[in-house]
Amino acid sequence: MITPTAYRDALSQIDAPNSFAAARQAALNAFLKTGLPESRQEDWRYISLDHLERMPLHAPEDGLGILPALEDYPGALLAYLDDRLVWQDTSLPPRVLDTLENAIGDGIPAWAAESFGSLAGTASLTQLNAALWREGACLRVPAGERLRQPVFLRFAAAEADVMLYPRVFVHMAVGADAILVEHFLGDPSIEYWQNPVAEIVLEAGARLTHLRIIEDSNLATHTGLSAVHLARDSSYRALNLTLSGQVARHELNLALAEAGAEARLDGVFIAAGRSRTEQHLRIAHQAPHGKSRTHYCGLADGRGRGVFDARVEVQAHADGNDAQQTSRNLLLSPHAEIDAKPQLEIYADDVKCSHSATVGSLDENALFYLRSRGIDGEHARHLLMQAFIDEALGLLDDTGLRDWLMPRLLAGMPRVQSLEP
Amino acid sequence: MLQIHNLHVNVAGNDILNGIDLNVRPGEVHAIMGPNGSGKSTLAQVLAGRDGYEITAGSVHYLDQDLLPLTPEERARAGIFLAFQYPLEIPGVANVQLLRTALNSLRRARGEAEMDAIDFLEFVKDKLMLLGMDDSFLFRSVNEGFSGGEKKRNEILQMAVLEPQLAILDETDSGLDIDALHVVAQGVNSLRNAAHAIILVTHYQRLLNYIVPDQVHVLAGGRIVRSGGRELALELEQKGYAWLEDKASQADNAADLMEARL
Amino acid sequence: MGNLDLQPHFDNEYRWGFVTDIEQEPFPQGLDGAVIRRISATKGEPAFMMEWRLRAYQHWLTLREPTWATVQHPPIHYQDIYYYAAPKTASGSKPKSLAEVDPQLLATYEKLGIPLQEREALAGVAVDAVFDSVSVATTFKDKLETLGIVFCSFSEAVREHPELVRQYLGSVVPYTDNFFASLNSAVFSDGSFVYVPKGVNCPMELSTYFRINASNSGQFERTLIIADEGASVSYLEGCTAPRRDESQLHAAVVELIALKDARIKYSTVQNWYPGDADGRGGIFNFVTKRGECRGDNAHISWTQVETGSAITWKYPSCILRGDNTVGEFYSVALTNHHQQADTGSKMIHIGRNTRSTIVSKGISAGHGSNAYRGLVKVLAGAENARNHTRCDSLLMSPDCAAHTFPYIEVKNPSAKVEHEASTSKIGEDQLFYLRSRGLSEEDAVNLIVNGFCKEVLKELPMEFAVEAQKLLAVSLEGAVG
Repeated sequence: MITPTAYRDALSQIDAPNSFAAARQAALNAFLKTGLPESRQEDWRYISLDHLERMPLHAPEDGLGILPALEDYPGALLAYLDDRLVWQDTSLPPRVLDTLENAIGDGIPAWAAESFGSLAGTASLTQLNAALWREGACLRVPAGERLRQPVFLRFAAAEADVMLYPRVFVHMAVGADAILVEHFLGDPSIEYWQNPVAEIVLEAGARLTHLRIIEDSNLATHTGLSAVHLARDSSYRALNLTLSGQVARHELNLALAEAGAEARLDGVFIAAGRSRTEQHLRIAHQAPHGKSRTHYCGLADGRGRGVFDARVEVQAHADGNDAQQTSRNLLLSPHAEIDAKPQLEIYADDVKCSHSATVGSLDENALFYLRSRGIDGEHARHLLMQAFIDEALGLLDDTGLRDWLMPRLLAGMPRVQSLEP
Repeated sequence: MLQIHNLHVNVAGNDILNGIDLNVRPGEVHAIMGPNGSGKSTLAQVLAGRDGYEITAGSVHYLDQDLLPLTPEERARAGIFLAFQYPLEIPGVANVQLLRTALNSLRRARGEAEMDAIDFLEFVKDKLMLLGMDDSFLFRSVNEGFSGGEKKRNEILQMAVLEPQLAILDETDSGLDIDALHVVAQGVNSLRNAAHAIILVTHYQRLLNYIVPDQVHVLAGGRIVRSGGRELALELEQKGYAWLEDKASQADNAADLMEARL
Repeated sequence: MGNLDLQPHFDNEYRWGFVTDIEQEPFPQGLDGAVIRRISATKGEPAFMMEWRLRAYQHWLTLREPTWATVQHPPIHYQDIYYYAAPKTASGSKPKSLAEVDPQLLATYEKLGIPLQEREALAGVAVDAVFDSVSVATTFKDKLETLGIVFCSFSEAVREHPELVRQYLGSVVPYTDNFFASLNSAVFSDGSFVYVPKGVNCPMELSTYFRINASNSGQFERTLIIADEGASVSYLEGCTAPRRDESQLHAAVVELIALKDARIKYSTVQNWYPGDADGRGGIFNFVTKRGECRGDNAHISWTQVETGSAITWKYPSCILRGDNTVGEFYSVALTNHHQQADTGSKMIHIGRNTRSTIVSKGISAGHGSNAYRGLVKVLAGAENARNHTRCDSLLMSPDCAAHTFPYIEVKNPSAKVEHEASTSKIGEDQLFYLRSRGLSEEDAVNLIVNGFCKEVLKELPMEFAVEAQKLLAVSLEGAVG
């Protein structure tokens, strides 16, 4: 059961054009009908959202939050605070980068008509975002154009018990090329809930590199969705980092909808303290000659629980598809848990699919080797952990963002605890 | 033994062979040389009966029967053997199992009694000895985890066991060190007699130092552009294939493209 | 190597599809408390047994048929099933010796290649033959008795060894376990019982041969195998059924208990009638199989070759409770035409230094659908647990399907769990290569399939391995081309 008042109040505060009011109301009704996901549902068996029911959640009240210090972002930047755009630093014209509210205006424009609101699907949390998003962000890269600098979208939370619904729409026209970074964070001393949705359309031959960083408060809940549609010969590369949060779940739904589409999905997730993180991937090969590569590394420490749940589907007559999935996981403490559920669902015969999953601990021999060379145990463990996740960090070099990201990543790594008595 | 007349072959809309004529008599060794993409491998695959090649014109006769309608296994049972350029790996199937199943299929087709496991083992060990190969070869899965050289030697072992009347070796020499090359040459030469014929498809002259051909053909752009004796191979080695470029037509590029994919 | 030679039997027909015309003694259709009391009374069971059945029935009434498996079937009308069908005998109970067995039945087993006359029987294999709901004959019983080994029908065990049955029945698969296990617990009619006493190595393979004959009847057998401390036993199970247009339900339960240092090897070649090429008829095979390594150093190994049934739903599992225990699962599942299989294993690591291995090979042809579903769970106390899982799927037609649904849950950092899976098409290049060596297409397919399954087939006792290879060949007849 859920308490509908907070959600209804939140909707009443949104000042949407009439053309959208009905759609928002319908989405809210759909959410209220199904409620929050429950652990009975197969897709939610490992992560419970029951605690949200006990929180005094409310919509942001303008101006109450305090902006956490802005880091240096090496590219164009839109910075949001409690779902309001509060800062921008970009030379890109509004037709390329703007708030979603401005970009779609009073009615859904033709370039978004096919995907806006439909790509993300109708799961209850997605409906809730559709009902309650504000401002949002929209990136439209015109045909054949390549953005020289990465585009950063920073979604910060500053008000206690606030619920936030960042919404992003990305349209990559034929042959367009860009780097997008979504960065989620918040005041480390407060509880809040971010429930973002990103819809991403790649037209024929388009290329997008997408970094997504969850660096929320360790008291926060993050339930994000990225829905990606790939047309012919397009390429989507993603690096998904989950570094903190009490509950952090990222769902990535990818449709290789036309022939020759390619995806590379990398990820690192860290579940330390008492945090629960889940990486939930659905990769649908719907057309011939698609290719997907997935490589995720998970670390669970303290009483953390990390979940990797990924499914590759190859639909009937989608011949010549090639999908490989790798899930590597380290358990660093006696109270931590890793759950892996790598699945293949195949309805065509001319395919090459494989997955592998491992769960183990740091290699004691390697550790001993490093220590015998004079490196102290803690440092040696750190080195080995870094080496372990490095396999999934190739895109940092391709995007030139290694220097920017590595310090945050290292800060998010588990404080090394010795397993020895 | 083998008569190829005006053979045209098309693969996925590209003409790869554009009128091949070739006559191989019992006892002869023919070398087919040519640059990459000239259609050499296509010719070998067509003779073994691989799917996906459209014969648009011409004919192939083998031992006075029309070869083209026959399935790959019917061709094998009629005595044709193709040593593959890239031998396949078949996990879980022991080499000895493949050899014996194949030999007994051929023997059944010829109306001969099948060989039991014990006789076969003796038979195959003689062949191994002849080729200077180790017994352990027999019990490994077919080509699985074999080095390139081992795979090629394994092809020669299969040939020695099946004793074909017409053996076609598709670039069996490429990538071999000198020792492996000796093994291959020894296998081929041991098969050589008045009844057997051999077609060597090769890029390099080197193998022909050990297996001396009766005739050498140069393939370019899907046609045989020159034929001659052994000296032609030596000439090719000195001059390379560049001088052939004039002769190569557009089809050559198409062939290149296709072979690169195969 | 060479001894696993291929002798493909190309035979278009399901050769085990004949019906034995024998007088049956069926109960009325449907299920209620009265039917259960009557089953129990007919079998002359002690009160505890009838009470257990009735409790199971009451629980079953609260359950719904599970829907999570990737199988589809028309609704099963549980009230249309005959829950008990026995070949009629003059005395009304199990024949005392083979001389009393109906000659028609003996002929049936001859025809199935399972001779029950001991002088002709397979050397070194003791057989319990179950025909519809009852065990009709058990061979080599006396010889086993001299070692203290109990090998008999379940009904007999209930009468002769009630203390063992009472102690172990439902201790691995409780009657509350799942919908089909509850149903089985309420109505199970017969099955096999094995008890191997302390320190005894059973000198021969024990085997049960299950045969469904009656139409419209369900088969609900129950097998309970106990290997006492230091004992070991290898058990084989084979199954066939006549060809019928309507589907039949088979809901069995198998429980294995291995005490300290004991070892149980359980092999199945399942060849229930799969239905015809259009998916009509065939057995719905919903089976719960679970073993518990209850004492330290115990070892349980499951091997299965599943080629029959319209639907296979089974997950032979191991509870690794004792320290240093070992669980293994080796499986080949083949689905052709419209067959569906959802099968796999659960390995539950509880004790320290426990090890498990899962090797699953799925072959999908025609419109067949094949799913691996498995769970590897390492509990917090399972220090140094090890699991290695390998799941491979071979796809043979554009209309087939292959799925892999592994669940890995690890709560101990000293554990090492590895899972690998691959799915690939039977290679056209491989086929061409073998055909160019003179093999027919069918021989080439069989060779590749046997190579693909080798890791599993080598776990089977020799006679069974040969039989399994033949079955694979027959089941794939016409699957490629």
